[in-house]
Amino acid sequence: MATAWPEKDDHELLALIQDGNGQAFATLVERHTERFYRLAYRYLQSKAAAEDVVQDAFLKLWENPAIWQPERNSKFTTWFYRVVVNLCLDLRKRKVPVTLDEEIPLIDDREPVDEAMVKFQEQKALEKEIAALPERQRTALNLCFDEGLSNQEAAAVMGVKLKALQSLVMRAKTTLKERMKAYL
Amino acid sequence: MSDNRDEKLETLLRSRRVAPANPDFAQRIILKARQTPQIKTPPFWQSVRDLFGEFHLPKPAYVLASALVLGVVIGFSAPQNTNLAVDDGGVSIQGFLSADEALL
Repeated sequence: MATAWPEKDDHELLALIQDGNGQAFATLVERHTERFYRLAYRYLQSKAAAEDVVQDAFLKLWENPAIWQPERNSKFTTWFYRVVVNLCLDLRKRKVPVTLDEEIPLIDDREPVDEAMVKFQEQKALEKEIAALPERQRTALNLCFDEGLSNQEAAAVMGVKLKALQSLVMRAKTTLKERMKAYL
Repeated sequence: MSDNRDEKLETLLRSRRVAPANPDFAQRIILKARQTPQIKTPPFWQSVRDLFGEFHLPKPAYVLASALVLGVVIGFSAPQNTNLAVDDGGVSIQGFLSADEALL
């Protein structure tokens, strides 16, 4: 009996995509869109920009599936995180620094207003300081604090050793601790 | 004190909020892909890689083959006529050398 689409692993789906199978592509997109969107959002702080980047990345894969080379990449998600990060960095280089998205639900209804305001200020300051970090430190931080991504995976995405990644995160946190003094 | 700050920073980093994507976001990508044709012909370098992949030769073999090809190309491009005595001006090298000796 043939395996149902959601049960197929990423590599099987990618092989089918290379044969032009639209259903395989749809399954891959539905499986991973959310996680790549989250990462792109952390970089760009804009819903529209993050959606554009993820859409671009997936359409590039569909248009030219030969860019995925299983013999060179052990895991699809690791490789695709790298693709998304590069697109985010390209976009940031071309644009003025992004501001916090207006749409973000920063204030929780259940919290007292002044507490929520403090949280809002903290978050705003944090995003501003993260955006000001050197590119590699920012990438390390975004990858490590993304749910479901281990340090080992984050290191693989960046193409660095685990120790190097840990050092980048440490430096980023030291800088943030210094610059966020007023809020900590 | 420092531990407290570390902890607070960790909490802040973990609680970074992400505005949810549009509910139809994945469907939008799928729909867009349906309107986009796939590139069927592999790019040039891909074809070259595939071609080399067919042979499964170790890297030193490529270096050796490249060196041989380079040697053949240089060999063929060197002038065929190596007769040093022939010169349009009519002065041969031997004549030139013997003229120097006569002075001594």
